[in-house]
Amino acid sequence: MADARDPHEDILLAPIEHTGPGFYWAVAFLSLLILWGTVAYWVQFTEGLGVTGLHQPVGWGFYVTNFVFFIGISHAGTLISAILRLSKAEWRRPITRMAEVITCMVIFIGAGQILVDLGRPDRMMNVIYYGRYQSPLLWDATSISAYLTASLTYLYLPMIPDIAILRDRSEKRKLLYSVLALGWSGTERQHKVLNRAIAIMAVLVIPIAVSVHSVVSFVFSMTLQPSWHSTIFGPYFVVGAIFSGIAGLILTMIIFRKAYKLQYYLKPIHFRYLGQLLLIMALLWFYFTFAEYLTGYYGAEPEEMKVFWAKFTGPFWPFFWTMVLCNFVIPLVCLASLKAHTVGKVMIASVAIVVGMWLERFIIVVPTLSFPRLPFPEGVYWPTWVEWGETAGSFGLFALFYLLFTKFFPIISIWEIREGRETSVKEVEERIRSYLPGDAQEKA
Amino acid sequence: MTNAPSDRLVRTLQWVWLGAAFLLVGGIIVWIVGLIRAAWTLDDFLSASVGISIVAIPIFLVFMGVVFYVFWGVAVHGRSGED
Repeated sequence: MADARDPHEDILLAPIEHTGPGFYWAVAFLSLLILWGTVAYWVQFTEGLGVTGLHQPVGWGFYVTNFVFFIGISHAGTLISAILRLSKAEWRRPITRMAEVITCMVIFIGAGQILVDLGRPDRMMNVIYYGRYQSPLLWDATSISAYLTASLTYLYLPMIPDIAILRDRSEKRKLLYSVLALGWSGTERQHKVLNRAIAIMAVLVIPIAVSVHSVVSFVFSMTLQPSWHSTIFGPYFVVGAIFSGIAGLILTMIIFRKAYKLQYYLKPIHFRYLGQLLLIMALLWFYFTFAEYLTGYYGAEPEEMKVFWAKFTGPFWPFFWTMVLCNFVIPLVCLASLKAHTVGKVMIASVAIVVGMWLERFIIVVPTLSFPRLPFPEGVYWPTWVEWGETAGSFGLFALFYLLFTKFFPIISIWEIREGRETSVKEVEERIRSYLPGDAQEKA
Repeated sequence: MTNAPSDRLVRTLQWVWLGAAFLLVGGIIVWIVGLIRAAWTLDDFLSASVGISIVAIPIFLVFMGVVFYVFWGVAVHGRSGED
């Protein structure tokens, strides 16, 4: 490939070559959150789960909520990136890397929630030695392993040409970049191999991502608990995951656009397109939520109705109605018209959706356990500082991992932007011509 | 290029990198096969283990294949030029 180096590329490499005071402040703040989480976990590890708000009948609280939430956010990356790549959406080029990194980071954090929830992490070995495939929990373990492997591969492959740029340009970490670049020199054969491999992974990753969140939903829907035993839980969870994933991606883009001065690459048009996707997902999410609750209400099974009213007017009403406000009302108001102030409106909608989707996961997990079908005593769950600490630490860990990644690798794909400049304009023009009626080539 | 690491070291570490990827994916496959074996030994609903493994194992094998294809195509043969 001819050298199509853009002088603005220096902006993309600047975070790797220079470290400003903002980075150290961010690391210090995130380290405090992680320290809180570490202390909380240490107290829980030494004294047992009794220090948390988890008790009978509510054995799943913040940790399982976080698990479902983080695995949902992971759909930001690989799934959205793969769909945009396969559909040849040219505007994807500056955003795919950011999305793919989110996926890899949050899968680790999400899976880690289960270890925290176990109280005795050594008991994880029981799953490895004596796991039984009748259990949806083991389906989860298998599908998340597949998704993690696929996401890491799908993140790494498109990074190879950029790592080669770093190998050739940067004076730092020569050995690391030389090893990871795999001897990339940009030959035609190398491009052919890489593009083919990326295409294979993009195709593979979509069904795997869908299966992951379907299987997460099966953990709930395979039981006979009220409000969990639902046939639409699989698609409902997948829709929610993509919804929260897009919102998470937008927030990440806005933060790094500001921090690393990426306005040249992340333009209002990107936020407008993602905002439109977000609006579609908000409507879809509302449709699924409406169908789910209407079906339960119309059946009017006594145990189902207990949970239903607990959410609508009972102890969980603030969470439920805040969820509706955040996931439907605010996005609709902000995104229905995106003609002006695109970035600000999309940001407000995204913040609301991230909060709303966390509440949605909480609303799914906790009320059902508070009012179980079996004749256990009923009880409302209140988290202690331990769960708050773990949650803050998890978010801090995710943000720190992400920040550190940006110090090693470009957060926007340099070679894909170059490729876009060199070949895509012509390709898109030819593609549009091929869509138009009456083209001579079509007659054949 | 200044301070460039030796080509021999880089190539060795690239093979180690490939080996680590294979170890990860291979380890997961071995784990799944171990669960089939446990289900078989304990006569514990073998069909579920086999059914899920039939889907899962080939997926992991494809991952290994893709990684190896890229490694071979880029790192081993790709350096030779425009062939």
